Amino acid sequence: MKKYIVALTALVFFWSCQSDEDYENLNRDPKNPTEVSSEFLFTAATVSLSDNMASPNVNDGLYRFLSQYWTTTTYLDEPNYNLSSRQNPDNVWSELYRDVIFDIQDAKKIVAANTELEQSEINARLGQLEVIEVYAWSVLVDTFGDVPYSQAIQADEFPLPEYDDDMAIYEDLIARLGSVNAMLSAGTGYTSADAIYGGDMDLWIKFSNSLRLRLGMRISDVNATLSQATVEAAVAAGVFTSNDDNATVVYQSNDPNTNPLWVDLVQSGRSDFLASATIVDYMNELEDPRREAYFDENLEDGYVGGVYGGSNNYSSYTHIGDPFLDPTREGILIDYAEVEFNLASAAELTYSVGGTGESHYNAAVTASIEYWGFADTVAEDYLAQTDVTYDGTSEQLAKQFWIAMFDNPFQGWSVWRKFDAPELAIPEEYETPVPLRFTYPVDEQNLNVDNYINASSAIGGDDQQTPVFWDVN
Amino acid sequence: MKTKFSGIFTLFLALVVQISFAQTKTISGTVTDDNGAPLPGVNIVVKGTTTGTQTDFDGLYSIEASTGDVLTFSYIGFGDEEVTIGSSTTVDVQLKAGESLEEVVVTALGIKRDKKALGYATQQVDGSEVSDVPTQNFVNSLSGKVAGLKITNTGTLGGSSNVVIRGNSSLTGNNQALFVIDGTPVGNENNNRSGQSTGGGGYDYGNAASDINPDDIASINVLKGAAATALYGARAANGAIIIETKKGSKNKGIGIAVTSSLMMSDVNKETLPTYQDQYGAGYGAYYASEDGYFNLSDIDGDGNLDETTPFTEDASFGAAFDPNRMVYQWNSLYPQLDTYQQATPWVAARHTPNDIWKTGYTSINSVALDGGTDVSSFRVSATHFNQEGNLPNSNIKRNTIKFSGSHDFTDKFSAQTNVTFTKTDGKGRYGTGYSAQNIMQQFRQWSQTNVDVYEQRDAYFATRENITWNPNGPNDLSPIYSDNPYWVLYENYETDTRNRYFGNINLNYEISDVFSVLGRFTFDTYEELQEERINVGSADVAKYSRFNNRAAEYNYDLILNFNKDITDDLNLDGNLGVNLRRNERNYILASTNGGLNAPGFYALSNSASPMNPPDEYEMKRMLDGVYARAGVGYLNTYFVEGTIRRDRSSTLPMENNTFYYPSVSTSVLLSNVIEANWLNFAKLRANYAEVGNDTSPYRVFNTYSISAPFDGAGWASNNSQLANPDLKPERMKSYEFGLEGNILDRRIGFDVSYYNSKTENQITPVPVSTATGFTSKLLNAGTIENKGVEVSLRLNPIRTEDFSWNMNINWSKNKSSVLELTDGINNLQLGSFQGGVSINAAPGQPYGAIRGTAYVYDTDGNRVITDAGYYETTPNANYIIGNIQPDWTGGVSNTFDYKNLSLSFLIDVQQGGDVFSLDTWYGFATGLYDQSVGTNDLGNPIRNTIANGGGVILDGVQGDVSYNDDGTYVVSNTSANTVRARTDYYGNPYGYGRDANEGHVYDASFVKLREASLTYSFGKKVLDVVPFTRGSISIIGRNLWIIHKNIPYSDPEAGLSSGNIQGYQSGAYPTMREIGASLKLNF
Repeated sequence: MKKYIVALTALVFFWSCQSDEDYENLNRDPKNPTEVSSEFLFTAATVSLSDNMASPNVNDGLYRFLSQYWTTTTYLDEPNYNLSSRQNPDNVWSELYRDVIFDIQDAKKIVAANTELEQSEINARLGQLEVIEVYAWSVLVDTFGDVPYSQAIQADEFPLPEYDDDMAIYEDLIARLGSVNAMLSAGTGYTSADAIYGGDMDLWIKFSNSLRLRLGMRISDVNATLSQATVEAAVAAGVFTSNDDNATVVYQSNDPNTNPLWVDLVQSGRSDFLASATIVDYMNELEDPRREAYFDENLEDGYVGGVYGGSNNYSSYTHIGDPFLDPTREGILIDYAEVEFNLASAAELTYSVGGTGESHYNAAVTASIEYWGFADTVAEDYLAQTDVTYDGTSEQLAKQFWIAMFDNPFQGWSVWRKFDAPELAIPEEYETPVPLRFTYPVDEQNLNVDNYINASSAIGGDDQQTPVFWDVN
Repeated sequence: MKTKFSGIFTLFLALVVQISFAQTKTISGTVTDDNGAPLPGVNIVVKGTTTGTQTDFDGLYSIEASTGDVLTFSYIGFGDEEVTIGSSTTVDVQLKAGESLEEVVVTALGIKRDKKALGYATQQVDGSEVSDVPTQNFVNSLSGKVAGLKITNTGTLGGSSNVVIRGNSSLTGNNQALFVIDGTPVGNENNNRSGQSTGGGGYDYGNAASDINPDDIASINVLKGAAATALYGARAANGAIIIETKKGSKNKGIGIAVTSSLMMSDVNKETLPTYQDQYGAGYGAYYASEDGYFNLSDIDGDGNLDETTPFTEDASFGAAFDPNRMVYQWNSLYPQLDTYQQATPWVAARHTPNDIWKTGYTSINSVALDGGTDVSSFRVSATHFNQEGNLPNSNIKRNTIKFSGSHDFTDKFSAQTNVTFTKTDGKGRYGTGYSAQNIMQQFRQWSQTNVDVYEQRDAYFATRENITWNPNGPNDLSPIYSDNPYWVLYENYETDTRNRYFGNINLNYEISDVFSVLGRFTFDTYEELQEERINVGSADVAKYSRFNNRAAEYNYDLILNFNKDITDDLNLDGNLGVNLRRNERNYILASTNGGLNAPGFYALSNSASPMNPPDEYEMKRMLDGVYARAGVGYLNTYFVEGTIRRDRSSTLPMENNTFYYPSVSTSVLLSNVIEANWLNFAKLRANYAEVGNDTSPYRVFNTYSISAPFDGAGWASNNSQLANPDLKPERMKSYEFGLEGNILDRRIGFDVSYYNSKTENQITPVPVSTATGFTSKLLNAGTIENKGVEVSLRLNPIRTEDFSWNMNINWSKNKSSVLELTDGINNLQLGSFQGGVSINAAPGQPYGAIRGTAYVYDTDGNRVITDAGYYETTPNANYIIGNIQPDWTGGVSNTFDYKNLSLSFLIDVQQGGDVFSLDTWYGFATGLYDQSVGTNDLGNPIRNTIANGGGVILDGVQGDVSYNDDGTYVVSNTSANTVRARTDYYGNPYGYGRDANEGHVYDASFVKLREASLTYSFGKKVLDVVPFTRGSISIIGRNLWIIHKNIPYSDPEAGLSSGNIQGYQSGAYPTMREIGASLKLNF
C-alpha cells in the first residue's frame, strides 16, 4: 500500500513541478520566428507590390483587362468586368494592405529600433520604405477612392477602421513624398535587400520624385494649385531622365520569383489570353513598330486582336508577344516614358517643368519605343507619321500614353480614366462598361458595415461606375 | 487475386488442424425470470470469448463450452448471472429483474459502471454490428445505428468520414468525436494537405480511425454528452466513442476464430451524370467553319482545310451530331495512332465517362487465437484487408496485428496490456476537388460528349503517352486543360503508407475491498508518408511531392478507485485521478519546383528548378489534469454523482492556462418506485456539465512566415492571423434529461433524451477588416447552441419458437444555432469555394450557412427575369442560400430470425440539409447533361438559336429591381415574362455564366438501404460432423439502394473530406453498391 501512495505522490509532484514557463515555452513555434530583420520585410513588400501591378491572373487586379490590352478566349467573366465571382477587390485590397503596407510599417518600426545602425542609415532605410508605402497607398486610392488610412494597420485599436477622404489621403501622400528626399539622401540604405535599385540612393530620389510627379498630375483637374506646386517641386528635385532610371523589379528564372506573367502565360500550359482588338486596332492604324514586341506574329497576315470580352478562338487571333513569356521579365513600377508623358501633360497646363508639351511627348514616345529595343530612328519615323506627330490634343497624348503603358497596365487604365481617351470597347458578352473604380471588397461590406456605408455615400455610391476623386471629366 | 484469397484460406485451415482442441461439450438449460416464466432472447456467452447464443421463445438454450468455462447470462432489465461449468451438462438459471440491473458499460477513462447508475445518455453497439458487413472504415457502419451520431463519408476510395455527435459545438475548432480504445485515446484527424477540404484539389487520405480493425471490436459505447465525457477533460466537448476490444479468457484452451469476407462493388448509376447525346464539342457557334461549330486546319496534308473539333474547348455546346458529317477529331492528330489523319463521323461517344467504372472488391481475412490459464489470458489476431478500387490502379491494403494479454501476479495485483500494429498502404486514391488530378472534374464539369472514353483508354495503353482529347491545337499537342483520364490514373497517382502503433499497459492493485489503484500508460503513434506525382506531359506542371508526418500521443494515468457499501442501502463509489497528456507532431512537406527533368522518375533530386524550402512543422503540447468523481447510490434506486476536473494546458497563455469544470448527474430507477406489470424497467436521468477547452498550439505569440529568398535576399511576411496573449479557455455548458426503459414484457425498449449545450468564449479567428493588415484576430468570441432530441426504440413485435422480429429505430433532431460572434461581426467564413460560394457561421443561423448569389424574387415569390430573359441575380455572393445542417436523421434496422436463418437490413435516413454542386454549376454551362437538350414551348429544340425558334421562356416575371444598402431589394412593375432566353451556348440561364449560385444548391435528404445481410448459422447436425464448434455464412450488402434523394446526378452524401466544411461537391465520386459473402468459423 505504502509504495503506491509513494508512487501517487511522486506522480502528483512530477505533475505539479512543471513550471508555467515550461508550459508557455512549448507554445513558441520553433519553425516560425517572432522576430525578423527589416530587410526581409522590405524585400517581400517590394516584390509583392510589383507582383500586384504585373499579375495578369484572373484572381488579381485585372489591370490588363481594365486597360483592354488583353482579352480572353473562352472564359469571359473577368474581361466582362465581373469583379464579384472571384472577389478581385478583396484580393487586391488584402495584397496591398497585408502584403505591402503592413509589412512596410512593421519594417519601419524594426529598423527605427535598430541600435546597430547609424541614424543616417536608419533614415535612408525609412526613406526607401516610405516610397514603397506611398506607392501602395496611391494604388489603393486610385482603385477604390476613399479607403481606411489614418486608422489602418492598427488591428488592436481599430479592427474595423474608418475610411478617409481620398483627396485628403492624396494630400498627405504628396506631403510625405515632399519630405522623403531628405531621408533618402541621409546615407546608405538597404542594398542587397533593395530589389529595385540595389541601394542606389540617387535613383531612389528620382523614383520618389517621379512618383510625386505622377500623383501631382493625377489631381490636375481637381486641385490645380496643389497639382502645380507638387509637379514643379518634383521636377525641380529631379525625375527620371532615361530608361536607365526606371523603377523596376527584375524577376528571377525560377518559381516563386518569376514575373507573374510567366506563370499564367507559360507555366499554366493554357491558352487563355489574346491581344485585345482594342489596342491591336489602334496600333494597326498607326502601324506602330511596338507591335513586334507587344504581340506574337502567330497569324500569317498581320495582327488581329480578339473581340474584347467576347468568345474568341485562340488560333484565329494574335497572341501576346515573346518578351512577356520570359520569367525574368522586369515588372515596371514607373518608367521614363510615363514620366515624360506626365511632363508633356504638365507643360500643356503651363506648369513650369522645362520644355514644351511637344518636346516631352516626343521624348516619351521615343523612350517607349527605345525601351522595347528599337533604334531611335524607328521612333523618329514613327513620330513623323501624320497621326503621331504631336498635335497638342489630349486625345493624342492619351492614346500614345496608353499605348506606351502596355506593360504597366494599371497606368494604362488610369490614363483612360483621367483623359477619357482613347475610346475603349464595351465588352461583347455581358456589356458591362469599363469600371471607373473597384467596388469595395465583399469582406468590408460584411464586416466593416458602418464605415463601409459612410464611405459609399461619401464617394457617391459603391459602384463600378462611380469615378474616383481625380477623375472628374 | 482469387488464388491468393483461397491460398490464405487454405493456410488457415491447415493451421487449424494442427491444433488440438479443448474438450467441449454441449450445455443446455432453461432461463426464467424470478416468477419462473421463461425468458426468450437472453444472451449467453462463454465469458471472455465470442462464443454465444440466445434463448429461444421457451427460454431454452444450448451452447458448446468446456468444464471450467464461465457462462454469462444477460438480459436487459435483469441482473447478469454467471455460472461456472462443472460436470453437469444442464444449467438452468433464474434471472432477477430490475433490482440488480448489472448491465455494465465502459465510461470515460475506461471506468466500468453499472448502466443503471448513469445519469447521462450512452448507447451501446455490439461489435458484430460493425464487422458483420465490413467496410474500409468501421465508423461508416455506425451510420444510422446510434441516435445523435452523424457519420458522413465522402465516397472516395479510403476517404475520410466525418463523425459528429450532437452537432458542431466549436465554430472553427475540432468537432470530431474522441475515439478511445481499451482506454487509449487514438487520433482520428485527417492529414490531408491544405486546401483539400475547400475543394482546392488533393487526395483524401482518410482519417485515422480507419486503422481500427472491426473484427477486433467487442463493443462500442457512444458517450454523447458533456456529462458523460467530463472526465476526459478539455477534449470531451465532442462526445466520445469508447471501444472495447475482444480479449482472451482465463481457464480456457486455445480457441480459434476465422472470418473471411469478400465483397464486390459496382457503381450506382443514379449517382453519375446522364449525358446528352445530341450535340458535340464547343462553346457555341463562333469557330472558323462556315456554320461556326468547327475549326479549319489541314489535318490530312492534302493542302485543303479540314473541319476539326474545336480541340481546346471543354464543353459540349457544339454542332448537332450527324453521322454523315466527317470531322477530324482528337484521334486524327496523333501520329502514334492508327486513326492519324483520318476523319470520323460526328457522333456521340459510344462509351461515355460512366463506362470507366469497373468492379472493385474488398476482401477481409482474419484469424484470432485466444486462450488462458488460471492466472492469465491472451488473444492474438491478424487481419488482412485488401480493397481494389473501382477505378484502375487504385487499392488500399491494411494489415493489423493485435495482442491482448492479462496476468494476475497475485490475487490483488494484475497487469493487462493491449498492443495493435496497423500498416496501411494506399495507391491511386481518387483525386478530389477542382483539380486535373480529379478525373471527375472533366467528367462532371468540362468535357466533350463526342469523346469515347474507351478510345482514350486504348490510346493511352497503345502509347503510354498523354494522348488527350483536349490539346492546345493541331500544331501543339500538349494538353490545354484536361489530360487523358487514363493518363491521370496511371501516371499521376499517389501512394501512401502509414505505420501505426497504439495500445496500453495497465497495472491494477486491489489495496482493500474498498480501494484499488490503476496505473496506466497509453500510447498512440504513427508515421506516414504521402507521395504525389504529376508526370511530365500533363496539363499541370510535373511534380513530385512527399509529406512525411509523425504524430504521437502519450497518456499517463493514475487512478484511485473506491467502492464502499456504507449501509445496506447506501453505496459510495468514486475515483481520484491524475492524467498527464503529451502530444507531438512534426512533418515536412517537400516538393520539386518547376517540373521534373526526367519523366516518370519521382525523386526530389529530379526537380527541374532549384527546390523551394520545404514546409516544416514541429509541435509539442502538454495538458495535465487532476480529477475526482464520487457517486452515491441509495436503495439501488436513487443515484447521484459529481465530477470535477482541473486542467492546465500549454496552449494557453501562462496567466489563463489553468481551468476547472464540474459535472453533476442523477438517475432514479422509476421501476423500483412504480409497481406496474407492464413496466419492466424505467430510469429517469438528468445532468448538468461544464467542460473547459484549450486551443491549438501557437496562437498566443505572433510570428512571421519565412519564404524562399528573392535573388538571395531573405523574405519574411507577417502572418495574417493576429495572435492573442490574453486568450482564455473555452467553456461548454450543457444539460440533459432522459428516460429509458422496457415495457410490455420487454417487447418495447426505449430511450429518449433532450439536451441543450452552449459553447461560449470560443477561441475564434474573428475576421477583421484586411485594412488592418490581418485577416483575422484570435478572440474569445462566439457562442453556439445545440439542442435536440434523441429517440431510440427497440421493438420485438414477433417472438415465437422459430421466428422472431426485432426492430431498432434511432431518430435524432439537432438544432444548432450560432447565437453570437462578437460585437460588430455578423459573419464568420468557415471556407470559401470555387464558384463564389462559402460556408459560414452567421448569428441567428444554424452552423454552416451557405452563402452565394441568389435569385431575386417579387413579393409573390416569383423569380425576376431580366430584359434579356435570364434570371436576375443578386449583385454579390453574400446571400444565404442554404444550410448544411439536416433537420433530422434516423435509422431503422430490422432483424428477422427464423431457425438458423437471420435476415437483417438497415435503412438510413436524412431529412434536410443542403449541398452546393460545383458540378452542375459548371456542367450546366458546358452542355454535358441531358438537361441541356429538349424542346421548348414551341416544340423546337431548345438548342436552336432564338432566330430558329430555340431558347426557353423562364418561369418568372419581368420587373424593376432597386437595391438598398443592406442588400435587400424592392421589385416593382412586374409582368409575366415572355422573353425567350438563349440556350444554344454556354451563356445559357442554367450554368455559371448567368445562373445564381442558389440554382445549384440541392436538398441533401436521402433514404438509403444502407446494409443488408442474410446469415445462416450452422446447426448442431452440421457442427457434429465438422471440426469447428460454431460457424455461419452470410450474404451481405452495403449501400444497395438509394430509395430516395433530391440531388440529380450524385449522392447527397458525397463531399470533399471530413471536417467542419461540408455541403460542397466538386468532382463528386459516385456511390458504390457492395455485395458479397462472409464466413465465420470458430474452432
